[in-house]
Amino acid sequence: MTNETGRGAMAETLIKVEDVSHVFPAPDGGGEVIALEGIDIEIGRGEMVSLIGPSGCGKSTLLNVIGGMIAPSQGAALIGGARVRGPRPKEVAYIFQESALLPWATILDNIKVSLEFQKAPRATRDQVAREALKAVGLDAFATSYPHQLSGGMKQRAALARALSLRTDVLLMDEPFAALDEQTRMIFSEDLSRLLANERKTILLVTHSLAEAVFLSDRIFVFTSRPGRIKAVLEVDEPHPRSPAFMTSPKFNDLRNRLYELLRDEVLAAIGKDRQGLA
Amino acid sequence: MTPLSFRSPPPWVSRALVILLLLVLWEILGRMGSQLFFSPLSMVATSGVTIFADREVLEALRTTAWILAIGFGLSVCIGLVLGLAVAMSRFTYQTFLPVLLLLYAIPQITVLPIFVLYFGSGPASKIAFGVSHGLFPIAVSVVAGVQGIKPLLVTSAISMGATRWQIFRRITLPYLAPSLFTGMRLASTATLLGVLLAELYVSSGGVGHFTRRFGESFQPDKLYALIAALSLMAILINETMRMLERRFSRWT
Repeated sequence: MTNETGRGAMAETLIKVEDVSHVFPAPDGGGEVIALEGIDIEIGRGEMVSLIGPSGCGKSTLLNVIGGMIAPSQGAALIGGARVRGPRPKEVAYIFQESALLPWATILDNIKVSLEFQKAPRATRDQVAREALKAVGLDAFATSYPHQLSGGMKQRAALARALSLRTDVLLMDEPFAALDEQTRMIFSEDLSRLLANERKTILLVTHSLAEAVFLSDRIFVFTSRPGRIKAVLEVDEPHPRSPAFMTSPKFNDLRNRLYELLRDEVLAAIGKDRQGLA
Repeated sequence: MTPLSFRSPPPWVSRALVILLLLVLWEILGRMGSQLFFSPLSMVATSGVTIFADREVLEALRTTAWILAIGFGLSVCIGLVLGLAVAMSRFTYQTFLPVLLLLYAIPQITVLPIFVLYFGSGPASKIAFGVSHGLFPIAVSVVAGVQGIKPLLVTSAISMGATRWQIFRRITLPYLAPSLFTGMRLASTATLLGVLLAELYVSSGGVGHFTRRFGESFQPDKLYALIAALSLMAILINETMRMLERRFSRWT
């Protein structure tokens, strides 16, 4: 099955977010912060979706609501029709900004411990872990410790761990943010190839316009706080996408439209600081 | 020799030279002054041979060793549990850590008589006083170790379905190991101190009893021989702990 059928409203819906709002107490102690307001989205199986918006717009919060790590103040997330009430390790795997690898364990052991957490059958853990490392090209580093790897390799190991869990859904919370640009581009290409080969449903929180356009089937643009969905952009381009796509007029056009949509929101988000300058 | 051509000797050579110099100084000073309070090295060495042939002294060393072993073992168990309990949540941390630090800061020698009244003059009071010295460094290190755990590791584990026990076993314990061994190293000497203080005070047996006896009967040669044996004991324990500490903190 190609990714063509896995896009847009035509595909079978895997993730549904119904009227989700989330409020949390303000960090300075006074009052409340509305992080999300009235979010209603549907994501098809095999779709690659980016969440983009100014800092503090609640996109990570939405990711955590879908992942079952945060119970929303209102509304609900559903995966495969079932309401999310807590972590769903068999269905959802995370990749964070930092690799979150245990520093005292080798890369292989890290993945095996994760499989133990997930309650995967003991007998297959070693094999599954090795296969996942091979899939991301880290098989030669199975017995290395995290501190022996570069930032890009650590994120690759985190990707291997997420893949080894064999979940339908991957939630990525700014996974490339700490990497340098070249590493980021290679990583994006790898991810696009993965999307073409495996039918993963991916939600990516990102600040990078280029990354969002290069990787996504759809891009959800958030408003500044309280986070609402301002617009949805579709990127009609089959995976795997090549670096040539990045220099195409289509890419530039989408990137510019995305920037126009975001510009006002980013200005609004930092508005208080800028008023004095204007 | 120009400064450029000077190459410092390997560290063990300079270290050995310093120690040798101190030993020579010891011998000279010992021969110069009154032999009531101080003895030259040569005399201490010969007394060492005689006192360690003395069955009573050997018995005392053995007594102190097992009291120390029990005291240290109890310190580790109680300190670990106490530290984990305090570090368990933000609430317990904020409530109990100041209390723990306060108790740690008390000069415990002032309450030694109470220990003796309560636990009697036998081994129990010495074990208890050793524990009261050893348990705080361990508890405080354990608290610090738990506080150092990266929250993201726990978040990540929860997202993968880890149970509380799995988080403890796979994240808390390994993360804790280096600070636990640091605490154990500090606690081993602290426990020894506690035990010896109690033995000095009650003086019913053990090494503390003999240090007092040799001191008060003006036999400094024997006193120093005994101190040398004690120091050796302390160094051995300390080095073992340091090895363990290094073994479990290779990843840091």
